Amino acid sequence: MTNGLVLALIGAALAALLAGIGSAKGVSLVGEAASGVVSVDPSKFSKVLLLELLPGTQGLYGLIAAMFILIRTNVLSGNAAELSVQQGLGFLAASLPIAIVGLISGIMQGRTAAAGVSITAKKPDHNGKAIIMAAMVETYAILALLISVLMILNIGV
Amino acid sequence: MNGTKYANAVGAVRAMENALLTKNDIEQLINSKGKAERESILASKSGTSNVETMEAVWEMIHEYAPDCKELEILLYKNDFHNLKAVLKAVISNREPSLYFISPSNVELNELVDAVSKKNYTLLPEYMQKAAEEAYELVTNTLDGQLSDSLIDKALMQAMQKSSDEFGSEFMQKYSRLVTTCADIKTAYRCCLLNKSAQFMENAICGNSDLDKEMLIKAALGGTEALFAFLETTSYSNGAVLLKESTAQYEKWCDDVIMDLADTARMQAFGSDPLAAYYIAKEAEIKNLRILSVCKEFGADKETITERMRKLYV
Repeated sequence: MTNGLVLALIGAALAALLAGIGSAKGVSLVGEAASGVVSVDPSKFSKVLLLELLPGTQGLYGLIAAMFILIRTNVLSGNAAELSVQQGLGFLAASLPIAIVGLISGIMQGRTAAAGVSITAKKPDHNGKAIIMAAMVETYAILALLISVLMILNIGV
Repeated sequence: MNGTKYANAVGAVRAMENALLTKNDIEQLINSKGKAERESILASKSGTSNVETMEAVWEMIHEYAPDCKELEILLYKNDFHNLKAVLKAVISNREPSLYFISPSNVELNELVDAVSKKNYTLLPEYMQKAAEEAYELVTNTLDGQLSDSLIDKALMQAMQKSSDEFGSEFMQKYSRLVTTCADIKTAYRCCLLNKSAQFMENAICGNSDLDKEMLIKAALGGTEALFAFLETTSYSNGAVLLKESTAQYEKWCDDVIMDLADTARMQAFGSDPLAAYYIAKEAEIKNLRILSVCKEFGADKETITERMRKLYV
C-alpha cells in the first residue's frame, strides 16, 4: 500500500466520520425535542419524525463521498491503485468539503429542526414551514457534496 | 452543543401549552351559567385535568428537567411562606400543615424539624439565616408583622442571589420584577400606616429597579409624594392602579410577570420556556380560582373580566 493510497483512505474515513458525527448529533437533538412532544401528544409522532430525519442526510452524503473515493481507488474491487502522494492528497482534499460542512451543517440543522419541533407541537398545521426552514440548511451540505464528488471524479488515477 | 439544553423538556412543554386556557375559553367560562357548564368547558380542554394543581405542574416540569436547579427559584416564595406558617404554628402550638403551600423545595416535616429543634442547618442555605433571625425576633418581640417583613425581605434577597449565581437572565429579571413590585407595595403600606424610616429600611428589600433611598424618602412624604415618585419610574402604570386599589395593582404585577414569561415563547431551548410555562399555569389556576369565587358571590361579568390575569396563549 502506497502513501498516496493511505492519504486517500484517510480522506474517505474523514468524509464518513465527520459528516456522520454531525448527523448523529443533529438527529439526537431533534430526537430529544421530538420525544418530549410525543410523550405528551403521541399523535404528533409522524410529523416530528420528518423533522428528525432531516439532519440524518449529512451522514449519507459523507458515505457517498467515501464510496466514490473507494471506487476510484479500486479499493472495493480488491485491486487497490498505486497512488502517488500528490494523488492521495488530492483525494484527501476532495473529502474535506463534505467532511467539514457535513459536521457543522448536521449539528446546525439539528438545532433548526429541534426548534421546528416546537412549531409542530403548537401548530401542527404549520409543520411544513418547520420542515422548509430546517431544509434550508441542507443546501450547503448538498453544495459541499457536489464539490467533493466533482473533485473525486476529476483526479487522474 | 451549548445552548441546546432541555430540548426534551421544552418539546414536552410546548405540547402541554396547547392545553392552556385561551382568551376565548376564559370568556366562555365567564359567560357560563353554572358550575356544571364550567366543568364541561374545562374538561373539553384536553390534558387540562392532568395538571390542574401547581404540584402536578411542578412534578411534570421536574420530571422532564430534574437537573434544572434555577427553576427552584420559582418555589422560593412558597418556601418562605411555609417558613412563616411553621414559625407561627410551632410557637402557638398549632398544626402547621393547615397553612402549608405546595409545591415547595422544603418539605413540611423538614421545616418543622428545623424550627422546633432550632437546627437551621437542616434547611437550604438560602433560608437558614432568615429562619433563625425570624424565630428570635418573633419569640423576643411577639411581633408577627416584624418577623413576616424580615422573611419577605429575605425571600427577595434569596431570589436575587440565587438567580445571580445561576446566571439565568430570565430568572434575574423575574426576581427583580417580583422584588420591585413587592417593594412598592411595602412602601405604600408603610406610608398608610405611618411607619418609621427605620421600619421601611428593614422591610424594603432594595436591589430592585427602584432606588431604595428615594423610595423610602418618597414614602415618608405621604402617599401623594410616593405616587409622584413612582410616576417618574417605569412602574408608573402600576402606581396609577395602586392609587385605585391594591387588587388592581396586584393584577398589574401578575400581568407584568406574564409579559416577561411571554419573552420565552420564542425560545426553543433552555430553562426559560419551562419557567414561563410554570408562570403561565400559575396565572391560569389563579384565574380559575378568582372566577370560581366571583361566580359564587354573584359578581357581574365586567367585574370578573377586570380581575382576570393576562394569559400566556
